[in-house]
Amino acid sequence: MAAHPTRRVVLAAAAMLPLAAVSGCDGVDVLDAPPSPAPDVTVLREAIAAEQLLITWYTAVLHDAGDAGGSPTALTAVLMPLLAEHHAHVAQLRSRLVVPAGSAASPSPTRRAATPAGPGVGSAGVAFLRDAEQAAAAAMLDRLRNAPGSLAQLYASISASEATHVPVLDAAAAGTTSRVTG
Amino acid sequence: MSSRAAAALATVRALQSALAAEHAAVYGYGVVGAHLTGSQQATATTDWVAHQVARDRLEAMLRSAGGSQPTAAAVAYQLPIPVRNAREAVALAVVLEDRIATAYLGLVALSNAAIREYGAQQVQASALRAAAWRGSTVAFPGLTSAALAAPSRPGS
Repeated sequence: MAAHPTRRVVLAAAAMLPLAAVSGCDGVDVLDAPPSPAPDVTVLREAIAAEQLLITWYTAVLHDAGDAGGSPTALTAVLMPLLAEHHAHVAQLRSRLVVPAGSAASPSPTRRAATPAGPGVGSAGVAFLRDAEQAAAAAMLDRLRNAPGSLAQLYASISASEATHVPVLDAAAAGTTSRVTG
Repeated sequence: MSSRAAAALATVRALQSALAAEHAAVYGYGVVGAHLTGSQQATATTDWVAHQVARDRLEAMLRSAGGSQPTAAAVAYQLPIPVRNAREAVALAVVLEDRIATAYLGLVALSNAAIREYGAQQVQASALRAAAWRGSTVAFPGLTSAALAAPSRPGS
């Protein structure tokens, strides 16, 4: 579905045209150098990468919960809905991403080398996820400042969703999950 | 109309929509609180006050945005769902907050940076209140299913 052009793509493509027009007079040659992605696209890719990182961390904590014995069920029941929401975030963000023709293709591993250490096990893992959610919510607010209107709304909504994950994880860390399973 | 005039008009419209939603929330939380007791009633009171503060802030923003006359509250509101007990009162609080979040997302689409940031903060505050009442979270507070479906179906 993302292969279909949207209004945003057309805008992105239109933004490229003046660059091509002034960068040379050799006709087809100006198409040789792939254009840099528009700033909106770069920020969107960062948002997608941030969500993917959260998914990786949730998956790791869930995996550890499954291995740890004891009673992983309660923690799993808390984390799975939150993980599902992050999957929904990624899907929605990806639906807004259309790479301009000719630009560098692979969008995902932008900052893989700078990936920080993963979450710990058990309560340390939950605390790690809590802090990660708080940071992610703040980063989404930063992204919406210069975003086009509809994308800013999506960032704001995702930020709000992530902010609501923080008290859920606080409750899970405190061992009181009644509020979140209500 | 100049683009500046168009932007000013869009700002006033979005602020008025948010204000109308806050008026409805202030009225609605009065009903919510009347059907609750104990800690739930205390939470409803806290949220009610938060909406009064937000309403006053929006009125001030409208007055400073070109001296627009803020939308007045209606004398009474048709509740979106019937409220006869505590469970329905909690359901009303959720509906009110969802509508508030949608209204503030209207501010987030504006070009004015300060108003945009305030809108985003209010979407977050509303989502936190809604999640507390709902007892669970949602992936896209304030965004309607139509808004979510649109970008992935450009051909339709």
